[in-house]
Amino acid sequence: MKREKQQDVFADRPAANAVPDVKQLRKMAGDWLKLRRADAELSQADLAARLGLKYYTFISQVENGFSRVPTEIMGAWARELGLEPAAFARHLLMYYEPEMHRLLFGAESK
Amino acid sequence: MNVVAFERKQDNREWSEKELNILVAALGTMAPRTGRKTGRTWETGMTEHGDAQFYLLGPLPEQSCEICISRIGKRYILEDGSGRLLFEHRNLELVTLHAKAAVPSTSWLMVRVITLWCAVRNTIQEKVEPLLVEGEELFVQFVPQLAALA
Repeated sequence: MKREKQQDVFADRPAANAVPDVKQLRKMAGDWLKLRRADAELSQADLAARLGLKYYTFISQVENGFSRVPTEIMGAWARELGLEPAAFARHLLMYYEPEMHRLLFGAESK
Repeated sequence: MNVVAFERKQDNREWSEKELNILVAALGTMAPRTGRKTGRTWETGMTEHGDAQFYLLGPLPEQSCEICISRIGKRYILEDGSGRLLFEHRNLELVTLHAKAAVPSTSWLMVRVITLWCAVRNTIQEKVEPLLVEGEELFVQFVPQLAALA
């Protein structure tokens, strides 16, 4: 399931023509995170251990789209997945705060 | 920090009817499935290992997770929507009690206000009233003497 290195993991983005609701966007973020974890060949338990969490249930909570990646561990989460923290945060902002993302990066990302 | 390894004697499976009844009875009143009364609703899910999860979701439009109860092995884990571990125990009813206390609601706020008021009243009774009684006793002792002088 490991992706080729040169493949752009940040290429996935919500369809521009549809306007998904907050819940749908969070679910999409969760699916994307699940794929990135699979790329890093980590289980939910592995990732939780690396992030210093006692249980892996929160990883599942986020990947199932019910919660967001907390800002305070976003950098660590990115690094454990082998991703650049700024690009990771920027990509998640697209799902979590689409309007903010559009205002900040709208012109660049099109 | 290491992730706690659990015994897996119990089958990984969805919530049993009994478990779900306990969860809905405790938290469902604040989150009827339709979410009409409180705006809250609930959903169930699973970890990649097949551990059952119960999510209490906040009102629209966010509908983000306020409380999550997971069952790992025979243990129930209570976390908030930011992944903070709030409580863990083998007794689901005990866990739901903690969950209920962790969810912000008017009735629970009321309970806390009443508890605080009782505590303040108790402190007044214990600390202030003896001082008043002492003052009263002194007054009773000195009044006859003052009356004699007059």
